[in-house]
Amino acid sequence: MSRRRVVAIFRRVAAEIRRDRPSLALLFIAPILITGLVTFILRDSQAPQVTAIVVNMAGVRGQLVQTALGAALQHGGAIVSDVADQAAARAAIADSGATVGIVIGTDGASGSPLTITVITNGIDPAGEAAQVATVQRAALTAAGNASGTVPPAILHTTLYGTPSDDPISNFAPAIVGFFAYFFVYILTGVSFLRERTGGTLERLMATPVTRGEVVLGYTLGFGLFATIQVAVLILWALGSLHVPALGPLPAFSVGLGVAVNGSPLLAFLVVVLLAVGAVSLGIFLSTFARTELQVIQFIPIVLAPQFLLSGVLFPVSTLPSILQPLVAIMPLNYAVDGLRQVFIRGADLGVAALQLDLVVLAVVAAFFATIAALTIRRDVV
Amino acid sequence: MASQAAPGAPSGSVPPAIRASGLVKTFGTLRAVDDVTFELAPGRIYGLLGPNGSGKTTLIRLLAGLTLPTAGWAEVLGTRMPSRQNLERIGYMTQADGVYTALTVAENLRFFGAVYGVDGDEPAAAALAVVDLADRRESIVGTLSGGQRRRLSLACALIHRPPVLFLDEPTVGVDPLLRVEFWAHFRTLADAGTTIVVSSHVMDEADRCDELLFVRSGRVLARGTGQEIRARAGTADLEQAFLRLGGDVAVTR
Repeated sequence: MSRRRVVAIFRRVAAEIRRDRPSLALLFIAPILITGLVTFILRDSQAPQVTAIVVNMAGVRGQLVQTALGAALQHGGAIVSDVADQAAARAAIADSGATVGIVIGTDGASGSPLTITVITNGIDPAGEAAQVATVQRAALTAAGNASGTVPPAILHTTLYGTPSDDPISNFAPAIVGFFAYFFVYILTGVSFLRERTGGTLERLMATPVTRGEVVLGYTLGFGLFATIQVAVLILWALGSLHVPALGPLPAFSVGLGVAVNGSPLLAFLVVVLLAVGAVSLGIFLSTFARTELQVIQFIPIVLAPQFLLSGVLFPVSTLPSILQPLVAIMPLNYAVDGLRQVFIRGADLGVAALQLDLVVLAVVAAFFATIAALTIRRDVV
Repeated sequence: MASQAAPGAPSGSVPPAIRASGLVKTFGTLRAVDDVTFELAPGRIYGLLGPNGSGKTTLIRLLAGLTLPTAGWAEVLGTRMPSRQNLERIGYMTQADGVYTALTVAENLRFFGAVYGVDGDEPAAAALAVVDLADRRESIVGTLSGGQRRRLSLACALIHRPPVLFLDEPTVGVDPLLRVEFWAHFRTLADAGTTIVVSSHVMDEADRCDELLFVRSGRVLARGTGQEIRARAGTADLEQAFLRLGGDVAVTR
């Protein structure tokens, strides 16, 4: 391994990226834009406006429930009106006059419990679930008010951090890891494909350069920009710069202001290890692509499963057991876990779970670097 | 023309610069190079002539050690190929330009120089002078014309002053005037001892070589100086000679 040749490749790769303004923008601006948007959506989404239409089909007993439930709903900010039958309720929901219909069930055999059926449109399951949840909470309150017993309050406390309502503190570490992986893979894959198809790899192979030197040079070149990207992303995630209101402009803050309990440097180490693996993955997969479009086409096969199976959106613990072995082999999974260990748990190097994450990421990076080197075909021994 | 009169195989006193013995390269059922044996003397320009797909590039790749032969062997400057160490003594100009289009002319040369272990600006300046690109030193390669990129590609193959040069279709896209200069420079290099193997399908370049190897279907059908080949085929026209010797080539002038 010649240091001079590695440095030459590193400098060449770095110069190429530096000249490629659109890719630089992709590397730095896109993740900030997307994380900012997601944060805005998750933090500032409005509570659903409930417009309820209540049908009582249970006579006198039902009337008591109707009154109590209506009061509880109105107390929670809902608009409540009564109609005579189910058909009218359904018609109101169909023409958007109401968001939920609440049908208090008919009196069956004396003493049987009343049933409450909630009717929604069925078009927007997630939004409607929020509406149903509002009705359920109101029903609990109403039951408590009616019986005179206050339902027990459920308090939540956590081992690490605080059970804040801020969903970003869990989401930010995952998204930092994902973006580092995603952009480094795309840029390396496309860049190395150009090397293969543009004839420069052929020419490079006619020089004394070794495959290991090529992979290392590339890793350093893209690693440099991945490192800067990760640094910017972590600063963006952790930082919170408040800009006061100025004239007609309202006050706003720059940065996600995520609380971090561990060392940002450790978080940095986790993502850099992940990015190094992504460089080699890009080199490896570029073997199987003939065009730049095909590098992009690997995203659904390679990146999408990682996104779904690494706890970015769906907690790993809730994934079907048949998928768990797949989860165990997703590099991103270890990065996301490692970042959460650092961000939320405040883990240091003494924590076994973080040690495992770092070791796995290092092994994965070494593994992909090896197979990447092997795909750079040369028969020279 | 030829600086040495000796035709055919080199004499026994000077060791050959390049040797091939029973070289075969197959891709599936295709025999891209089919039992090629020759010795090439140092300090001469050899022209590999043949139609597209006749196996010229594969033959060059085998000689340069970029691919392993299915059978047989190749030797450059006494070293069996493939040999990474030996690549320091070989210059290879690929058929594709093989230069980095996002970098400047100077950066490309600096890169290939560093890879070959060449220091300083002097070798780059010399290589640029040869291809007449000194005034475009700081230009981004992507903004150069096709011919200018070809010239840079040649400069990158010359930067480490290799004693053996493989040039795969070096003059494609190069204007006639510069083509003459290219060949004049090849001659200067050969006179100084460099062994040059040039592939071409352009017949009017053939006479600039010391010796010609007619390649078709992976085989060397004929070998000799232009004069010898004309005499053997009984025609004054190289194209006709090529046709009579079995290579029905689509000829470009």
